[in-house]
Amino acid sequence: MTPTEAGDGIPDSAEWRAPLDGVRVIDFTWIVAGPTCTRLLGDLGAEVIRVENEQTLDSIRFGRPHPNGFDPPNSSGMFNWLDRNKRSITINARHPDGLALIKQLIRVSDVLVENYSSRILENWGLSYAEQCAENPQIIYVSLSGFGHSGPQRDYSTWGPTAQALSGLTSMSGLPEAPEPAGWGYSYLDHMAGFTAAAAITAALRHRRETGQGQWIDLSQVETGMALTAGATLDFTVNDRRYRQTGNPPGNRAVWPQSAPHNTYPTAGDDNWIMITCTSDAEWERFCEISDHPHWRSDSRFATLPARLRHEDELDEQIGSWTAGQDGRALMQRLQAADVPAGVVQNGLDLVVNDPQMHAREWTATRDHPIIGEHLTDGLQIRFSRTPAHRDRAAPVLGEANHYVFSDLLGLSDTQIAELHENGALG
Amino acid sequence: MTTDTHARALAGIRVLDCSDPKGHFTGKLLAGLGADVIQIEPPGGSPGRAIGPFLDDQPGLERSLYWWHYAGGKRSVVLDLYSDDGLDVFLQMAESADVVLETWQPGRDRPFDPLALAEHLPELVVLSLTPFGQTGPWRDFSWSDAVGLALGGPMGSCGYDNIPGTPPIRPTEHHASHIAGYYAATGICAALYERQSSGLGQHLDVSMHECMGFTIESSAPWALYEQHPLIRQAGRHAGPQPTEPWQYPTADGRLINIFGMPRSEASWLSLVAFIQSKGLGDRLSDVELLDGRKRQLGLQQPSVAMMLADIAEFIAANEAEEIYAGAQAAGAAWSIIRTPDECLSDEHWHARGFFVDVEHEEHGRTVTFPGAPYVLSETPWQHGRRAPLLGEHTSDLLCGELGLSTEELAMLVAAGVAQ
Repeated sequence: MTPTEAGDGIPDSAEWRAPLDGVRVIDFTWIVAGPTCTRLLGDLGAEVIRVENEQTLDSIRFGRPHPNGFDPPNSSGMFNWLDRNKRSITINARHPDGLALIKQLIRVSDVLVENYSSRILENWGLSYAEQCAENPQIIYVSLSGFGHSGPQRDYSTWGPTAQALSGLTSMSGLPEAPEPAGWGYSYLDHMAGFTAAAAITAALRHRRETGQGQWIDLSQVETGMALTAGATLDFTVNDRRYRQTGNPPGNRAVWPQSAPHNTYPTAGDDNWIMITCTSDAEWERFCEISDHPHWRSDSRFATLPARLRHEDELDEQIGSWTAGQDGRALMQRLQAADVPAGVVQNGLDLVVNDPQMHAREWTATRDHPIIGEHLTDGLQIRFSRTPAHRDRAAPVLGEANHYVFSDLLGLSDTQIAELHENGALG
Repeated sequence: MTTDTHARALAGIRVLDCSDPKGHFTGKLLAGLGADVIQIEPPGGSPGRAIGPFLDDQPGLERSLYWWHYAGGKRSVVLDLYSDDGLDVFLQMAESADVVLETWQPGRDRPFDPLALAEHLPELVVLSLTPFGQTGPWRDFSWSDAVGLALGGPMGSCGYDNIPGTPPIRPTEHHASHIAGYYAATGICAALYERQSSGLGQHLDVSMHECMGFTIESSAPWALYEQHPLIRQAGRHAGPQPTEPWQYPTADGRLINIFGMPRSEASWLSLVAFIQSKGLGDRLSDVELLDGRKRQLGLQQPSVAMMLADIAEFIAANEAEEIYAGAQAAGAAWSIIRTPDECLSDEHWHARGFFVDVEHEEHGRTVTFPGAPYVLSETPWQHGRRAPLLGEHTSDLLCGELGLSTEELAMLVAAGVAQ
């Protein structure tokens, strides 16, 4: 087997092992940030058990689209996309018997992840110290807006709030616009989730080496501030504040300095191509291929400093040339000349119009008891020996109750029925 | 820096980082977790040293603030991997390394085949972080971070609905590398974890394009299930239908994002009380708004239009910091739209120790950096020592560890193979 074969890459052999095979994760996550983390852990082979409660369901279980009709809590495509490869149990953590069961589960688990506001687990009686009393090797991840320490630990965020506070929103937009464009989705929900996954896998490795667990305290805003180094250091070192003429720079380059570096219109409605010449050699090849070789000798465009000084004229001329051309054909033509160029694709393009994704079988058809046959998206890390997987659809609410309560925790059917009766389960 | 006796999550792990700027963030993540990351630089230095901003705006090999950040905590060995002698030295180093990180596109001129290297050294984890992966028709496409964000999907959701004819907008600061960097670092950690039980390494193929393809939130399920594209909108989520604006200007010329409207009645009443204490927002007492569904953004409801009109008026009459603090105290997850420099004025981040000071002794400066993306209680994240000077550790590694004599090193240097 080669490591780069298209598709899932899962060998037929029963000996298949994923990298996190044998790792059990208790998943108290909701919305997008926490589930992004546990989706990646699940793809990597961890057994992820979502702890849910019928009275306080994750609102993503109601999130659109509902491809086979609105029938929550199991009909959401958004939930199925974000929570694949996970199991689901239903417990009321606020009930003392429910809490006791969760503590039992902690004893047989490796990781506990949550992304509630900073005091929720503490209020339930599941602080890190209380988790350690059950399992001193547990790896506990709290993912909140502001972290569990500091004067604003009780403030809260959503993805867009965190992006705004981190500085990221301000750094995306057109310079002359009255407001930044920011991010058109909760970028920091994803990034905070990835940050958590990186920390967890590193902590698992440390634990296997030393036997030591730990508490990983994440602040979503901090995960964003950690991605603003250029602008932050320009301030701390050069004393330059971000708010100045020309910022945010639209689609022009910041660093490395490059020109042309912009989006240009192509044929059709709202179609665009990004062209970036990151070196003089690329610029020269671009001029050759562009039917405008004279651009190269035009003193306004001959050198990078000149192009930067005359960027408005440069962009206007290139835009006049691209307008009306087929974007994908133009991309191919520029790429054939080794010029960095790419059409702006949206999510739909990735699924239906992207030959690269198609060649690598980025989507695959899977089944779901309510949604039915559907497309699931790719595995981003292709391991040559221990492949990740995407075999399991998102869990129907409570589908693993028997497995967890009976097989894992050893409760009898009578005990389970009693716990249902008294409100600890469900 | 104070002496720190903590263990590190990746203590004892050595990474040979052959990456260009596409992979510098991945290496930084591993260094932050405690790995010994050795950046293998080509003669003349990594292209990362030419990425600004620069100290006092003067470019120079040791003046790139990009490099200071993204190479922080790493060591530098200069080796020409395209020469036989350089590659030979590298392969010797690889024998005692745990991880090799590389970013060469597979069909372009690359000094070694990463799959063959992984087969040759079965305990080694070799990660190829490339724009499109090791296979497929675009695998050798010429690339930049912005082209990556355009093709990969993130940019398609960002832009303006209220300025006609404007293009999608790509957020600045190397985010294609950031997104893929987390996948790559997680993949490496997972492979190292697996190696602890199997004793075996492997090859990891990470396509930056595929990493971005997941990282587009609801655009993905709308495409996967409904083949439905989303409308990009200024300062808020792209959606299947237009939604109300979230960003409102304040009296002091800043902007507030109001996305986090209270869900509970108690929190809503608390927010209304705060707004009305400033003498505005009479209509927010409308009983209809006591019903949380009538406050829900995104559905173009008349009740929300009325609510937002009063909120906009209140925001326009007050100052940003006061609005932010008052709304958060009421349980509304509103925020100020800050610039990165403004974050340094917020005491909360200092109380958590987010910003870290690092000595750059050559320049006689202590430099404040953005710090830990995570607080690990037992194995803290570290910035580590300042970014390495070009070839600062070549001699340490080649003579001190590999056992080359100073004469042998001098010959490599004279031949332009090492520096």
